[in-house]
Amino acid sequence: MAKREIKVEQLIGKRVYAANGRRVGHLEEVRAAMRHGECFVEEYLIGSYAVFERLAAISIGRALLGKVGAYREGGGYRVPWDKLDLSDPSRPRLLCPVEELEKLHG
Amino acid sequence: MKKAIEIALGIVTSVGGFLEIGSITTAAQAGALFQFRLVWAIILGGVCITFLVEQSGRLSAVSGHTVPDAIRERFGFNYFLFLLVVLAAVTLLVLGAEIGGVCVALEMATGVSFQWWAIPVAFMMWLIIWKGTFSVIEDGTAILGLVTLCFIVGAIVMHPPWKQVAVGALPTLPAHDRLRYWFIAVSILGASVSPYLMFFYSSGAIEDDWKEDYINVNRVIAVSGMSFGTCISVAVLVLAAMVFLPRGIQVEHYSQLALILRDAFGRWGFWLFISSLFVACLGAAMEITLQLSYMVAQGFGWNWSKNQRPKDEARFSLTYTVFIILGALLVVVGIDPLKLTIFSMALTAATLPVAIVPFLFLMNDEEYVEEHTNGWIGNVAVIAIITLAFVLAVVTIPLEIFGGG
Amino acid sequence: MDLARDCLDTQLVDLNCRHMGRVDGIVIEIEDGEQPRVAFVESGVVTQAERLHPRLGRLAARLAKRWGVAESDPYRIPWAEVTPTGVNVTVGVEAEKTPAFAWEKWLRAKIIGRIPGA
Repeated sequence: MAKREIKVEQLIGKRVYAANGRRVGHLEEVRAAMRHGECFVEEYLIGSYAVFERLAAISIGRALLGKVGAYREGGGYRVPWDKLDLSDPSRPRLLCPVEELEKLHG
Repeated sequence: MKKAIEIALGIVTSVGGFLEIGSITTAAQAGALFQFRLVWAIILGGVCITFLVEQSGRLSAVSGHTVPDAIRERFGFNYFLFLLVVLAAVTLLVLGAEIGGVCVALEMATGVSFQWWAIPVAFMMWLIIWKGTFSVIEDGTAILGLVTLCFIVGAIVMHPPWKQVAVGALPTLPAHDRLRYWFIAVSILGASVSPYLMFFYSSGAIEDDWKEDYINVNRVIAVSGMSFGTCISVAVLVLAAMVFLPRGIQVEHYSQLALILRDAFGRWGFWLFISSLFVACLGAAMEITLQLSYMVAQGFGWNWSKNQRPKDEARFSLTYTVFIILGALLVVVGIDPLKLTIFSMALTAATLPVAIVPFLFLMNDEEYVEEHTNGWIGNVAVIAIITLAFVLAVVTIPLEIFGGG
Repeated sequence: MDLARDCLDTQLVDLNCRHMGRVDGIVIEIEDGEQPRVAFVESGVVTQAERLHPRLGRLAARLAKRWGVAESDPYRIPWAEVTPTGVNVTVGVEAEKTPAFAWEKWLRAKIIGRIPGA
């Protein structure tokens, strides 16, 4: 397939599905790094509560959200760039079992 | 020395920002109906806004970003737009009320009905903003605003029973008109804890080029400015309690309000009140106009300094021009300024949560405030204010319906 | 770098420190089997509208084509010209010469610049 464009702002907050159709969480961040003067996507971060997690990077957010039960340690995953199928950007799909993913928090 | 002058100016400016048609009207109604019983609401509002203003200033001084900037960056475009639409709708009503206040002052002075003044007043505001730099606008209205000190002098001259005033600092329920009592309490809080004040203050910190070493200056200005403003509001309440309550005047029209200083200063009292109303409302109207336009410009990433020429920031200039026209239209069509004031103050209270919740996150975000994040006092205060804001948001509309009339 | 947290929605600043809009969108390019590459940042009403709702985005695009004054909306800046600098993103161009200032220049020429004292 030829070159395709995907918009980060559209991707953020989308629900990510496992290969078996189970929901894994929401895509909350796209992590990139510079290499040879170009910027490549390294990995995607999946959290259980998308928007909140962006705020939960701040300690008070974590503390508060923990209190109301909207935040759990170990709730998210790191997905390497080649393990996420974005051929339908509105429905990102994992290309590997959830168990193979690295946990996000500790 | 330079900082001492800045502090003095800053305090006077924040008094100017604090005292406007909303705080004068709500305080006067409170005094006229419930004597000193609602002093606590003014003090509570003053304490809340002190915390929020201090934090806005700190965020700007350390990060070089205003509160709306940071909200867009952290909470995204959609939340920002939501906040902008809600605030713009409410703040436009407040702007209409302030322009109405200026016009009412002119009506009292000349006898020509307030509606006729809306367009000249709007044009004058626009001209000052168009031609003036930020410091001209800020310092000018601040220094003229000192005339409002006459309320404090007036309250002292009237020899009120200070012990009873002090007792009013603790909430007590009146025997009559309880719904009305709570409605006025909510309006007082809406008048003091106004989002436009803290957003304007944070933009002002950038315009005045505050840096990290201004943290203490900011603290002094926020605390003394807001306490000073609170004192003036309390003075208005005390005066109303001394002047209106014994005569059974309930402040249903602005012409009644003009009598508030007559017992204290005689014939001069009338003119002192008119100039106070004129200056306070004009200052507030310009600050509100600028704040709304700053917020639009900041959210969309335009240039917005009031220290540049209008043609170098055409979009910003157009924005404030449009806001002034819309605000003036509310007065031209003849909406009663007093009703507009009371309605918009209560509505402000109802919309507080959307504006205040972001503070909790931003003021603990080290990417913005570095090591100057909120301590536990600051965080407890913000959480308490947010809780209060949610309560206000829930009770305001029912109170408006059952207690507003 | 976290694209959503550190780049999306940040202030775009030109060579002369003039504000030139915000990062309303970020475009990544994907070729099968290749590592996805961050290609552009986008700024403009069309991208903003798209974030609210895709249908609103299409409407904005249509309106921009018909009534807009910019030769391209959204304005796309190649990633190579972009440098994230703390809380801002600096772009190696002059804002005045880009589509980011199309409306600014139009307003200046047609309305604001014609008012005395501008």
